Amino acid sequence: MRNELTEYNYDWRFWSILDNASKLFDATEKEFTSTMAYTPSFRATTGKLSTTGKAGHRLVKATARYFENILTARSRGKKIGLITYNFSPAVLFAFDVVPYCLEGMSAFYAAAWNRGIYESLDYCCEVGFTETSCSGQRVALGPVLAGLAERPDFIVCSTPGVCDSNANAFAFASAYLDVPFCQLNYPPTLTDERAVEYHRADFRNMLSFLEEQTGKKVDVDKMREVCEEIIKQDEIICEIQDYQRLVPCPVPGIFNLFIYDIKVLFSGIKDGTDILEAMLEIVKDNAERGVAGDGVERLRGFFYYIDHYCIQMKYWRWLEKNGISHIGTMMTDFWQANAPYARGREEEGYRMDLSSLDSMIDSLAAQSSRMPMVKQIRGPYDAPHMWLDDTVGVANLMKADFLAFMGTMGCRNTWSMVKLITRDMEKLGYPALILYADSFDNRIEPVDTFLGKIDEFLRVRDIRGWKGAVWK
Amino acid sequence: MIVAGCDVGSLTAKAVILGDDRVLAVRIGKVKSRPEISAREIMEEALKDAGLQMKDIECSIGTGYGGKQVPFAGDTVSEIACHARGALWLLPSVRTVIDIGGQDCKVMKLDRDGRIVKFATNDKCAAGTGRFMEVMARVLNVGLDELGDLSGRAKKQLNLASTCTVWAQAEVIQKINEGERVEDIGCAVNNAMANRIVILANTVGVENDVCMTGGVSKNKGVVKGLERLLDIRVKKLRFDPQAVGALGAAVIAGERRKGGGEQ
Amino acid sequence: MREEIREAVTVLANRYVMKWKSGGGRIVGYPCSYMPVEVIAAAGMLPFRLRAMEVVSTSIGSSYYGPVVCSFPKCILQIAGERKYAFLDGAVVCNGCDTMRRLDDCWRKANDDMPGILPSYFAHFAVPHKVTDYSVKWFAGEIRKLIDSLEKHFSVTVSDDKLKMAIAEYNRSRTLLGDLDAMRSGPDAFLSGTDAMAIFIAGTAMPAADFNALLEDVLGGLKKKKDALPGRRLLLVGSVIDDIDLFKTIEEAGAVIVADTVCFGSKDRTDLVREDGDPVAALAERYLGSVKCPRMFGDYKRRFAFLKELAEKTGAEGVILQNIRFCDLHGSENGIFERDLEAAGIPCLRMEREYGPLGDEGRVRMRIDALLERIGAGGGGSRRALSADRSR
Repeated sequence: MRNELTEYNYDWRFWSILDNASKLFDATEKEFTSTMAYTPSFRATTGKLSTTGKAGHRLVKATARYFENILTARSRGKKIGLITYNFSPAVLFAFDVVPYCLEGMSAFYAAAWNRGIYESLDYCCEVGFTETSCSGQRVALGPVLAGLAERPDFIVCSTPGVCDSNANAFAFASAYLDVPFCQLNYPPTLTDERAVEYHRADFRNMLSFLEEQTGKKVDVDKMREVCEEIIKQDEIICEIQDYQRLVPCPVPGIFNLFIYDIKVLFSGIKDGTDILEAMLEIVKDNAERGVAGDGVERLRGFFYYIDHYCIQMKYWRWLEKNGISHIGTMMTDFWQANAPYARGREEEGYRMDLSSLDSMIDSLAAQSSRMPMVKQIRGPYDAPHMWLDDTVGVANLMKADFLAFMGTMGCRNTWSMVKLITRDMEKLGYPALILYADSFDNRIEPVDTFLGKIDEFLRVRDIRGWKGAVWK
Repeated sequence: MIVAGCDVGSLTAKAVILGDDRVLAVRIGKVKSRPEISAREIMEEALKDAGLQMKDIECSIGTGYGGKQVPFAGDTVSEIACHARGALWLLPSVRTVIDIGGQDCKVMKLDRDGRIVKFATNDKCAAGTGRFMEVMARVLNVGLDELGDLSGRAKKQLNLASTCTVWAQAEVIQKINEGERVEDIGCAVNNAMANRIVILANTVGVENDVCMTGGVSKNKGVVKGLERLLDIRVKKLRFDPQAVGALGAAVIAGERRKGGGEQ
Repeated sequence: MREEIREAVTVLANRYVMKWKSGGGRIVGYPCSYMPVEVIAAAGMLPFRLRAMEVVSTSIGSSYYGPVVCSFPKCILQIAGERKYAFLDGAVVCNGCDTMRRLDDCWRKANDDMPGILPSYFAHFAVPHKVTDYSVKWFAGEIRKLIDSLEKHFSVTVSDDKLKMAIAEYNRSRTLLGDLDAMRSGPDAFLSGTDAMAIFIAGTAMPAADFNALLEDVLGGLKKKKDALPGRRLLLVGSVIDDIDLFKTIEEAGAVIVADTVCFGSKDRTDLVREDGDPVAALAERYLGSVKCPRMFGDYKRRFAFLKELAEKTGAEGVILQNIRFCDLHGSENGIFERDLEAAGIPCLRMEREYGPLGDEGRVRMRIDALLERIGAGGGGSRRALSADRSR
């Protein structure tokens, strides 16, 4: 790692970027533009977020608070729990633990910062990771391992049984830093009695771990508080996703990222609900006016795994500029029983039952077991409730014109089945493209190259008469 | 006392002859169809240069991928040890040796007595090896030995995002098509290579003095990039860096002959 | 090495397989050490651990698997696609790791294009990643589910008594393998790692009864040998190996592999299954109870303690930490093993490789030579020197 990168604490650095950015949103247009001139390396990201109005502003403010909570955790006597993005942080809020979501941070670092992330990716390899390991964790884990970010008190990882690469990164962090490790481990099926029983027992086992780490017992009132907030948030998310079905799609593409950001960073707390309320207002307004979220809709794309976060969100800006409505990823579907894609498949979704502490715990366990990836890639891809079912369901519901796969080069699980699902989707009549880019590491396949491939694909396959992308 | 070292690598064969701790001959040539032929031919050329005959050699050591097939070698020693030993002979203060060969990249850390205390080798991938540079030079249509000088003439900072040989090749072609100057792209290639080696170097932990061996160390752009990224100075060896392995083999042969230290 | 052992190691349809088939026996393949083979044996069938030593290309494997995954499962699919697994009546794929568990998906889909490459019985079997009372209970349920499906498909009965007999038979193998393992351990090791590995591998490719008879015979012969083998004592750690040539390459460089923790090798092969009580529960405890594979997340400390003890017990002077490219479970854990073993004064070599026949001997040899020279020169580094190094 270069010397200059070791001068500042990463959490502090990004808190200050966000905190300053959040203040900028209250500035005049002139103040905003002239300040932007001085922030070349994250100007485009801030600019992008500023175009989303109140929702983007609230998201930046809430994220600044997220970092601030991490930075002040020690002085406030709170514990920091290092978690992965497919673990709902709501239960940590109920325990008054400060969550530190690795991939959430990775996506943010990748979006806000062009250069330094490569060094944190590589730092992990210098201390022992294979260079083929998943980038999703490495971007943000580098500074943690280097002692340039807050040290976690413990780790909760919810990917064993779902994603080896992810679980392995957290297991590595636990061994390297010598901090306690707790895993939520999932069976390959979702709704049968044995699976449900396992989910519940495992979730309770995790609660015991949290009790042990925090020295606190489960607090019924706090648990109820976060569960009530989850219900509010889920209702709004489901409504937004219902609007997403409209042609043209009134939901701005970037709101997909907001949805999963909220679920992985602010689930169960008011910050998340506030952002969602602002989002819904914008979406409703667009819908009433009959306009697309990003202006004009030329095509509707479903990204059947994850998105791309590097180089100042160029991918998001490119989709928007080209009128490609982003109608979701695996990451946007959390499987609330009342989600639009769960209609007719309600048993696969979760419901929040607040009648007793036990029912709340069971509900959270069910929610946990339906998190993105946790639900779909735990079993054979074409088994009931798994990746193929969900991809077909969403592609039909959201009227996708084409599908594109993008992940990370470290993702052994999806790279071992993506050819199969892609072939199936093609047979079902959906043009589907496999991209060899990496969501967090632009060095694998640079953003312009893979966007060019999407453009070429749309042209060659003549999807809705695609005439070529706008690049400038 | 006349001793020799012969290093038969994946792309080149090298021979060094020492006489009473002085270099009498150094020869480098492309490998032939079989390692034993490469070894014999390169050694014969070196012997000719030194005005000697095979029977004059009192002890010789083979090293490299084809080291075991060197017909006249009394023994073989790994190229990791030979590069370290050769570098130490040339620069007694050396603690870190970075060797970038055609197929492999290695970083060795030595203690005060010149023993290897730690070493790391590249992963099973062509990125970060001479092979990467070869592919890039071909795409840029410049000679491998010209690639290093491009950095000095670069005017614009270009970043080669990928260090994977396959993707980087595509990216270089894209940059050429975009009308970027060959010098600027070449500089980006050299920096990408340096970036790649830094990871390996940091795995063992770099300690001064540092020197480089192997063909890629002739590339000034890569050396400069490494110096910048690692915040170090790479000490120049007054010897062909490609033949340091063969030199090390000859030094070890000398020690064996004297009955000295085993490396 | 005896011819029948060499054959079992290098030829898929070896003489034991052919004899079993010609006697009307059925064979069920499995790819992972977490598979309780006793269940298959108790169903009257031959459990056969899937391998791909005869592979020369991955053209079929790469058509279904993506480019950035481990070559081992890809090669198994290749062999299946080439119809070299025609002797299988069934296969059970389990989730040892993500790439391996997708052999289920890939094999089935390849069968759509190449009908008949899938055995008539094909099942998915899941193993939890943690050891708790409820995970062991769930795993026992998974074993029962497997028993039910075998019974239904093949119209056989797997009684508790049959399970107990199978457990006893495999426990006998484990005890004998333990004796064998001791002969290649320590400064007095007189059995080479290559020969020991060949026997360990052979045991996965023949009926337990034949294997036990063979093993007893081999052990009897070995007991007369007493001359210690020369060479540096090494411990081999990491990704799956079923390639005795890799062992040979290492040992020919001047080493004796006195212990290993690799699949197909001695890892888990000497741990007994409890013979009292409910046999299914006993199998669940024994198989899930093993945390020697990094698939059991969060158990690094126990694995490191085991490794360190093994190195001490067997007199290992150095450790080879290898992984197949894209096997990040072993590869990354090897990074921490290296840190901690070096700190304990044990020299390590970290190395990436490809699966068996796709491997590159030259690359391996150069690295092994350097490790051995480092050990020979005392460059293992004193505890002091290495701990100073870590503090940089």
